[in-house]
Amino acid sequence: MTDTSRPLVAVTGLTKAFGDNHVLRGVDFAASSGTTTAVLGPSGSGKTTLLRALNVLETPDAGLVRIGDVEIDFATLPAGKKARAETSRLRAQSGMVFQSHNLFPHKTVLENVIEGPVQVQKRPVDEAVADARQLLEQVGLSEKADQHPFELSGGQQQRVGIARALALRPEVVLFDEPTSALDPELVGEVLAVIKDLASQGWTTVIVTHEIRFAEQVADQVLFIDGGVVVEHGTSAQVIGDPSEERTRQFLRRILDIG
Amino acid sequence: MRHALRVLALLMLVLVVTPSGAAVAAQDDRPVVRVGTEGTYPPFSFHESDTNKLTGYDVEVIKAVAKKAGWRLQFVETTFDAIFAALEAGRIDVIANQVTDNPERAARYGLSDTYTYSRGVIVVKKGEKGITKLSDLKGKTTAQSLTTNYAELARKAGAKVEGVEGFAQAAALVVQGRVDALINDNLAALDYLNTTGTDKIEIAGNAGDEVSEQKLAFRKDDTQLLQQADDALAALKADGTLAKISKKYFKIDVSVENSGEADLSGGRAVRSDAQIVKDSAWPMLQKLLIATIPITIVSFAVGLVLAVAAALANISGSRVLRGIARTYISVIRGTPLLVQLFIVFYGLPEIGIDLPSWPAAVLALSLNVGGYAAEIVRSAILSVPKGQFEAAATIGMGYWQTLRRIVFPQAARTAVPPLSNTLISLLKDTSLLSVVLVTELFRQAQIAASAAQVFFPLYLLAALYYWVVCAALAAGQGRIETRLNRFVAR
Ligand SMILES: Nc1ncnc2c1ncn2[C@@H]1O[C@H](COP(=O)(O)OP(=O)(O)OP(=O)(O)O)[C@@H](O)[C@H]1O
Ligand SMILES: [Mg+2]
Repeated sequence: MTDTSRPLVAVTGLTKAFGDNHVLRGVDFAASSGTTTAVLGPSGSGKTTLLRALNVLETPDAGLVRIGDVEIDFATLPAGKKARAETSRLRAQSGMVFQSHNLFPHKTVLENVIEGPVQVQKRPVDEAVADARQLLEQVGLSEKADQHPFELSGGQQQRVGIARALALRPEVVLFDEPTSALDPELVGEVLAVIKDLASQGWTTVIVTHEIRFAEQVADQVLFIDGGVVVEHGTSAQVIGDPSEERTRQFLRRILDIG
Repeated sequence: MRHALRVLALLMLVLVVTPSGAAVAAQDDRPVVRVGTEGTYPPFSFHESDTNKLTGYDVEVIKAVAKKAGWRLQFVETTFDAIFAALEAGRIDVIANQVTDNPERAARYGLSDTYTYSRGVIVVKKGEKGITKLSDLKGKTTAQSLTTNYAELARKAGAKVEGVEGFAQAAALVVQGRVDALINDNLAALDYLNTTGTDKIEIAGNAGDEVSEQKLAFRKDDTQLLQQADDALAALKADGTLAKISKKYFKIDVSVENSGEADLSGGRAVRSDAQIVKDSAWPMLQKLLIATIPITIVSFAVGLVLAVAAALANISGSRVLRGIARTYISVIRGTPLLVQLFIVFYGLPEIGIDLPSWPAAVLALSLNVGGYAAEIVRSAILSVPKGQFEAAATIGMGYWQTLRRIVFPQAARTAVPPLSNTLISLLKDTSLLSVVLVTELFRQAQIAASAAQVFFPLYLLAALYYWVVCAALAAGQGRIETRLNRFVAR
């Protein structure tokens, strides 16, 4: 994490509007390889939109996104086939873990995990299966490989979602509030898995309302409000000693409730 | 289950392939002449109850003509009301079905020399005293095939005419008292009385004094075939062949005028209902297996592809594709299937698309299924949560991959119950295919019914066959649904 190394993720001037609703108004941030970035911010501030833009599930109106050596300038992105090839290259650089896991209900846990590697990356099945079993072990679900999602608890489902994202070996793993749809007693097991990833050197960007968790694991914290990054720095800076009034208000509110 | 299906498919394939395979064997360069005939008008054109072979006076006459003229015949069976349409559309080349000469027909078609002299008779319920001659029909109701000469006769006499599909149906209406009378050929009426042994109806009198003349009908411009037919008929009259065929059926020579009273006794035996059903069970089952079921399966498969295409077009971003899909769906749902069948079979040849019966049937039914199933498929696709599309996108899947591997398997859960209904309707809709000259289960029931001159038990048998297949389909639907619901928390 030295300043001299080029960051793995670089976002510059990202904007996105839905009609008149300007959700992202010029977001800038960078994340180095192997770091955990926590994204905090009030509801509706554009956190989900930012993550979806990184995975190109939402096409930004303008701005630069670079992950690893794939870079797109959305202001000049033409329409058509070439653009689709470009965006899918960028998309492949990141893996996405959804708030509501979005597992494929008709496939077993193992099939969910190998679907991308086998069908999209065209890796040999044996190799993909061996890999997937290792990932399932890592998230503590070796025994569940042949079950279907409906047979699992919410926390287990979310952990399969994580394994599915990791199986594609992306440069960055994106999490959108991975625990907020879970019963409180299931939150811990999912956070433990994510924490584990950080220690293994995965680069992650996590949108979360779990301030204490962010404080523990995040190398960098972004506070977003009104579609811009209001404050960023280490967790000690942003959470421990915020310099912006809006950040302080947000933290006070959320910590009072939580 | 799967194994049973495979065996069934193989069986059907064998049944379909065997007869056609045998037919193409010999090299033959005689011209092919397609003969339109009802196959349901005994004693002129009907199927033998034991062998199911097409026979009758008209059938034997046209065969004798063909032999003299050097034609190779191909019989096409159709209801009388579709027979002139088939001739004009070039589906057939000649009608051998007791076509009575009248000025309109003589102007429109090429009519041969006469091969039957007969007269029309009025048939009424036994004991009905009020109707003995044509003028008594004023204000009464008669049952006729609408395009026959007799229907015209009844109309001119001031009767109301109910359309029916053949003699047996008309006779049933008379017996049931739903109509007052029917007019038909003397010989056909005698055949009915003889074959059924009925005492419920009787011949009340002649329909006018005129003797009518029945002829072969060709297209007006087909003068060469007409000339060949006339030459052949003259030769057959001269060498006694025609008289011989006639005497076999009527004991007299109806190919000349005033040869006396016909006698049809000792023709086909009177059979009990049980015997009739027994005789017809296998031919009907055959048609179920080689026509009804295969046409249903192929049409459903093709229709499903059309439905998926239309559904995808309908939810696509392209305004043009959406417009095409919506127009297609709207046209199909807004028009009767019978009309669609007529357009595909009799209409398309006008613009140069001349499809044989089976492809025309499959095309019309597929288009129909596609239009109805498109909305089912569309709402099934939309029932798959958006998150599933996004999860597929995020792991890098493309459009088709997402549909095939993620969306369709889940959409199937929603789509199977309504699609099963579509399939079951389709199976039953195949009973309309006689209008495009496909002999399927129901047409075979009509054929058997007309030969036996009773139709109720045979239609009941047809209903039973349809029901058994539909029940099997419903059972299959249950199994598929259980399979698809396996992965969903209850
Ligand atoms: N597909 C969309 N179409 C229109 N508006 C959208 C769409 N997605 C998001 N928005 C709007 O964009 C704004 C930001 O939404 P976003 O989901 O990014 O917020 P968020 O910070 O993730 O909020 P939360 O903490 O509630 O998840 C909201 O006003 C939302 O209504
Ligand atoms: Mg959000």
